[in-house]
Amino acid sequence: MSTLAAFGKLPTLNSATILLVGTNEIFQQQLAETILQEKQDLKINIHLADSLPLPPERDHIRPRIDLIVFMVNMQSKHSYSNIEASLVHVDASFFLGKVCFLATGAGRLNQISIEVNAVLKLADLYCSPVLFCELECEKIRIATAQRLLRMLRICAGHMSGVSALSFSSLMKSSIGDSSFLA
Amino acid sequence: MSLSQQDLNLEDAKEQLLEECEGIWKQVEECQNKLTFQEIETVPATDPKLSLLLHRMKALTAEFNQWQKRTPEIITTNPDVLVALGKDQLQRLDHDLEMILSTVHAKNKKLNEDLLREQQWLEEQQQLIDCLDQTEKEISNQVVQFSEKRAFQELKSKMLKIKAYKEELLNALGEFVEKHFPLPEDDGIQKKKTRSSREEDVQLITLHEILESLINTLINKPHDPYVTINNSFWSPYIELLLRYGIALRHLEDPSRIRLENFYD
Repeated sequence: MSTLAAFGKLPTLNSATILLVGTNEIFQQQLAETILQEKQDLKINIHLADSLPLPPERDHIRPRIDLIVFMVNMQSKHSYSNIEASLVHVDASFFLGKVCFLATGAGRLNQISIEVNAVLKLADLYCSPVLFCELECEKIRIATAQRLLRMLRICAGHMSGVSALSFSSLMKSSIGDSSFLA
Repeated sequence: MSLSQQDLNLEDAKEQLLEECEGIWKQVEECQNKLTFQEIETVPATDPKLSLLLHRMKALTAEFNQWQKRTPEIITTNPDVLVALGKDQLQRLDHDLEMILSTVHAKNKKLNEDLLREQQWLEEQQQLIDCLDQTEKEISNQVVQFSEKRAFQELKSKMLKIKAYKEELLNALGEFVEKHFPLPEDDGIQKKKTRSSREEDVQLITLHEILESLINTLINKPHDPYVTINNSFWSPYIELLLRYGIALRHLEDPSRIRLENFYD
């Protein structure tokens, strides 16, 4: 079982790498394109995967990953269980602020097959924030892309004075998640 | 300061900056080496929260200590570098400010145009209102005249026309009846004389008169429109009226007739 290490490689100059994990390729592509359309002064690498672990044979050409986004499609039980299985292959250091869950399709309540609470609970279990996003809507997609980019900058250490850990601690305290502990 | 000396200074500054960068990169590499020695910690699948929270606590404490110990980093003290940096920042600021200025100008212009357009629109609306007010006044004056005088006169003239027309029709009908259904003249009377002496003293009435009496009875006494036939009615004309469905005989009393209900 190969685990994705958080600090296995040296960072590359003026660039940041984001990994999108999810079963819906169309959504991944859309989100990736939206992220790349945002104007940035640093180079953004986007890696797409449908599950973890990542194939080991291409490990040497893969840059250090700064932020993992687990995309949970609320309309598919398969996507949820897939993410649950993938989480095991992640280095514990990633959960110090370099992991984020992205719940898609939660807006159409009659079509969801996973409860919103289940996702919130999962994220709480792994001490990571959840973003909700309807990827079909362009404006929301752009806003989500901007949020992810801002998180990515922090996670890659491009914001002086803020670390991923302190940022995620800030985000957690604003969620007020004690209701899911029961 | 000559040009060549300036170039020399710049070269020196570059060199110095590169050296500093190299130093920082070496530090990064050292840290990386230490990190790779650390073993990768996997998350327990059953209850990851506790271990993760412990991990977080450790990391946060470490970060806290780091911040406590840390002294603010000072960028290089080389004056040339500082000047270049300051220039660069000022230029960027200048560029940003210029952009803001142009945006504000554009916005101002647009707002002015909007204002003008709105004012024009307001004026037009005002004119429209004035115009409508005026027409309303005119119309309201006219309406009064219309309702009182004109309508009355029109009705009057219409009525006169209709009356004249009615008169005309009646005259025409009367003429027609007089012309085509005359009283049996001398020879008729003579015949009657020969046939029966009892009818001599009876003065026969014209078809015109028969019709008139039928119509009058129908109009005046609609509940009982029957007219009793007496000797003054010439029987061929009665027969004619009955045969062509102009008059009807009473169902029980054959001596009484009435006008057909043409208006039904």
